[in-house]
Amino acid sequence: MSWLLPLLVALPATGALALAVWPRSSADRLGAMVGVAVAAATFAVSLLVAVLTWGRDGMRLESEAAWIPALDVWWRAGVDGISLPLVLLTTLLSLLCMVALLWERPERVRALVLSLLLLETGVLGTFVVLDLVLFFVFFEVVLIPMWFVIADWGDRHDPAGRRRAATVFLLLTVAGSAVMLVGFLVVHAHTGTFDMVELAERGGLGMSTQVQVLAAAAIGLGLAVKAPMWPLHIWLPDAHGKAPTVGSVLLAGVLLKMGTYGFVRIWVPAVPEGAQALAPYLACLAAVGIVYGSFACLAQSDLKRLVAYSSVGHMGFVLLGIATLTPVGLNGALVANIAHGLITGLLFFLAGALKDRHGSAELTAIGRGLYARSPRLAAVLAVTAMASLGLPGLAGFWGEMLTLLGAFDPAEALPRATFLACMVAGGVGAVLTAAYFLHVVRRLCQGEPETAPAEASTRELATWSPLLVLTVVLGLAPGLLLTITDPAVRLLLGGDG
Amino acid sequence: MSPGWVVVAPAAGAVFALAMGARPSTGWVGAGFGLLTWLLGLLVAVPALGDAAGTRTVLTSFPTGAAPIEVAFVVDSLAALMVLLATTVALLVLLYSVGYLAGERRRASYTALVLVFTSAMSLVVLADDFFVLLVGWEVMGACSYFLIGHYWERFEARAGAVKAFLLTRLGDIGLLFGIFVLASATGSFSISAAGEAAASGTMSTSQATAAMLLVLCGVVGKSAQFPLHTWLPDAMPGPTPISALIHAATMVAAGVYLVARLDDVMAAAPVARSVLAVIAAVTMLLAALFAVAQDDLKRVLAWSTVSQLAYMFAALSVGAYAAGVFHLVSHGAFKALLFLGAGAVVHAVGGTSMEVMGGLRRRLPLTFVTTTIGFAALAGLVPAAGFFSKDAVLGGLLDAALHEGSWQGWLLLVSGLLTVVVTAAYSMRAWLLVFFGRPHGADVLHEAPWMMHAPLIVLAACSLAGGALVLAPDVLDPLGRGPADLVHPVLAIATTAAVLLTALVTYAEWWRVDGIDPVARFGPVRRGLFAELGVGRAYQAAVVRPTWALARLVVATDRDVVEPYVRGAGVTAGGLGTALRWLQRGNAQVYVAAVVVGALAIGLTAGWLGA
Repeated sequence: MSWLLPLLVALPATGALALAVWPRSSADRLGAMVGVAVAAATFAVSLLVAVLTWGRDGMRLESEAAWIPALDVWWRAGVDGISLPLVLLTTLLSLLCMVALLWERPERVRALVLSLLLLETGVLGTFVVLDLVLFFVFFEVVLIPMWFVIADWGDRHDPAGRRRAATVFLLLTVAGSAVMLVGFLVVHAHTGTFDMVELAERGGLGMSTQVQVLAAAAIGLGLAVKAPMWPLHIWLPDAHGKAPTVGSVLLAGVLLKMGTYGFVRIWVPAVPEGAQALAPYLACLAAVGIVYGSFACLAQSDLKRLVAYSSVGHMGFVLLGIATLTPVGLNGALVANIAHGLITGLLFFLAGALKDRHGSAELTAIGRGLYARSPRLAAVLAVTAMASLGLPGLAGFWGEMLTLLGAFDPAEALPRATFLACMVAGGVGAVLTAAYFLHVVRRLCQGEPETAPAEASTRELATWSPLLVLTVVLGLAPGLLLTITDPAVRLLLGGDG
Repeated sequence: MSPGWVVVAPAAGAVFALAMGARPSTGWVGAGFGLLTWLLGLLVAVPALGDAAGTRTVLTSFPTGAAPIEVAFVVDSLAALMVLLATTVALLVLLYSVGYLAGERRRASYTALVLVFTSAMSLVVLADDFFVLLVGWEVMGACSYFLIGHYWERFEARAGAVKAFLLTRLGDIGLLFGIFVLASATGSFSISAAGEAAASGTMSTSQATAAMLLVLCGVVGKSAQFPLHTWLPDAMPGPTPISALIHAATMVAAGVYLVARLDDVMAAAPVARSVLAVIAAVTMLLAALFAVAQDDLKRVLAWSTVSQLAYMFAALSVGAYAAGVFHLVSHGAFKALLFLGAGAVVHAVGGTSMEVMGGLRRRLPLTFVTTTIGFAALAGLVPAAGFFSKDAVLGGLLDAALHEGSWQGWLLLVSGLLTVVVTAAYSMRAWLLVFFGRPHGADVLHEAPWMMHAPLIVLAACSLAGGALVLAPDVLDPLGRGPADLVHPVLAIATTAAVLLTALVTYAEWWRVDGIDPVARFGPVRRGLFAELGVGRAYQAAVVRPTWALARLVVATDRDVVEPYVRGAGVTAGGLGTALRWLQRGNAQVYVAAVVVGALAIGLTAGWLGA
């Protein structure tokens, strides 16, 4: 029994509670500082978790306690090579967002920090719990603070639009989660347990193929909304377009990963026959998403919407990797998850900085010639664009390459020709991704300078630099991630997969 | 010593150069790291010259779920030659750039990119793991993109940079899939394992063929061969020293290197060899003809690079391995010389169009002498290196045509001999237009500083003496892959006569019309070649514009149809009614939906058929 994971989840929640009861006058001034302190403490705990579990196979730091025995709901938590990188990503991005707020000083900062801390609790809970009901609860906990973050601190120029975007996000995700809960109940009805580890070990034992397909469809739908899978991505561009910078960073950086994490943790091992039946459909929809997202980016005139659509494409790679049901595909999905969190998080920081300076994220409003007007910001943007388009040697490459390798040689029971078609679609998407990112660099960085200089401050660069450094480090040494995800993935798939 | 140092040293130099910023001394720091890299390259490469197998070192490896990826290096004779070529040219270019960029502000990024580029090229030629190779391969592409766009205020620079990156990336996707096929055939990502599997016959012909056809996509993109040839001439708005490094001696040569490296797999895939032969035959002649018609000196040189690379592919496609590698090395020297010479000319007259040049022989005497050697090597005149290497290539083609009687040999031989004539014509024309005739433009010209001269002299010496490699077939081809003879006296006399005759005719034509461009009288043919037969424009119309149209359609669809559909009625009831109404509206968005659903259907049907 380890208290570390409950502590990890409780820390941000405690911080949020403290901010809520703190006297209003001083809390507003101290809000961001409290946020940084709590987020830093959480980050430190997550590092401790990493140190204690690094390189050790299997589920670690497990804790278990009956919570609502009448409903067979237990607190179960643990961390392994699949969840640990996501936990670290979450605590890091949350910390950087808090630091950004320290400089940015938005209105009603206390309430914003409170929301973000609740958000962090929900995300961390989702990544560490090992009980389906708890997973569902934490999955939902995230929605409310995110709704506030978008609706209250979103685009200053469009109050109606940001509220609408927040509501669409909320409704779609809640609808999806409701279906997902039905899937969980179906699983429980046939197996008598919500324990994710036990379900993975049973590997669908006790459920007929038909039941598994039904459960996999229901669970998959809920997760696919979050991921987001084409054509359920509709909420994403608006939510990102209207969200404040920190909201976008967390939304893209960690919230989307809750969906793909659920696929890996629950969908693949708990209902394997259902997953196998649905995997070709998932792969095709993922491939369509890759190409569709790239096309949508190419003609996009708003930088934040563009980065949002690029997420549809990148998450398409992640879903494709999962659909292959192979160790290499799942490894690729997990690495692409982390890479996308770092790179797109950074892209949203950059897009937010440009939007703040120019009052709009329209490419025409930002104007040309950033290389001359703000060389440091432009250089970071160009390198990040290269990372996002999957340049080998930067973090974005490895995950997407491995998902394509998985599609080249999918699990034996899957139709290979479908996956080869999806692999080719993924390749086309990769070229289109290069096309739109080079278009962005050409429209923004190059050309005669059009508007006033707007160089990145040292504070901003300091906030962004951890993401940039990690992008390079993971690009040169992807083994750092793969050595911890690979054993966990093999364990999950059973035997040598 | 670990070969990794040749990769690490320039990368470290890049970080250093960035930290230095735009100080005047940044260029010297770059040259210093260039020297360090060159010395390390000597230490790594020289002992390995003539070594057939090389030594394999594995720095680290990590799991992927499939075969592990190993950060592994092999230094054999081919790798050693390439390291020497790349680090030498890089050093000379860095030194040259100190003078060339004296008046520029963007020194830091320039120097850093050249150093990263050198590091990436070393990685490509030393790697013994396909993914390690791919890292170097694409990082070079990215450096090339940034360097072509160095003068990003200029439209052509921006457009050329994007075009170069996208066309090479398109090919690289093929290369990636080719790697998948090779890896599934050998169960590892090791490059040498792929060669061994092909040589020992454990790799089937169909696997080798599929793999090499896919790999060739990447090669054709990187080396700007037909039909992905259009990017290289458009890459010329970059600084001229860059063109010497990237677009002549190293990056485009990486494609040739990869084919040479995978020679065993190529040998097991006759279909892939035939495809390569056709590509080479078309490219060498077409590019040479394009070179005849250009006004821009750098564009002439760019097309000549495309054409010369095709010679190397021609040799490799008929199994004349040693000849291909020989021409790769000798071309690296004389093309770097020509580009750096062109840089000195551009530096003096302030433009790349040959219309503003003329009569520079007296004003830029050293540039004149060294560049003349370069042109002689390009045209294949005795005793320049190009004479020997081209003779070796043509001899290899002749062997294939006469002794093996293969149609590929005949096709390449005819194309190769015609290209010899055309090459002599455009070399002579460019030489005359730049250095002879009436001077144009400014009166006050000055020769470049010594940092720019020294590399010209070194490269001129290499271009003259490089033919001596013919005496060291063990270095070029330690395994004795072929051809047996690198020297073919009868063929050499015949081609020399053809070259001299062509040069004479070109000169006579130029002299007759009093120093005016000798190709001016070809009228419509010239205009067609000048426009490069409209291939670029055709791609624009057939690919680029439809892509943009589709992109706009997707954006419109996502805004106008899908959103209300989901937000409003779509989620709950009325799905069928909406769909019916939707279909009856018959507008563009339905087509998009149809396309998407169709794509889905095709994918699933493919799976059903495959199952």
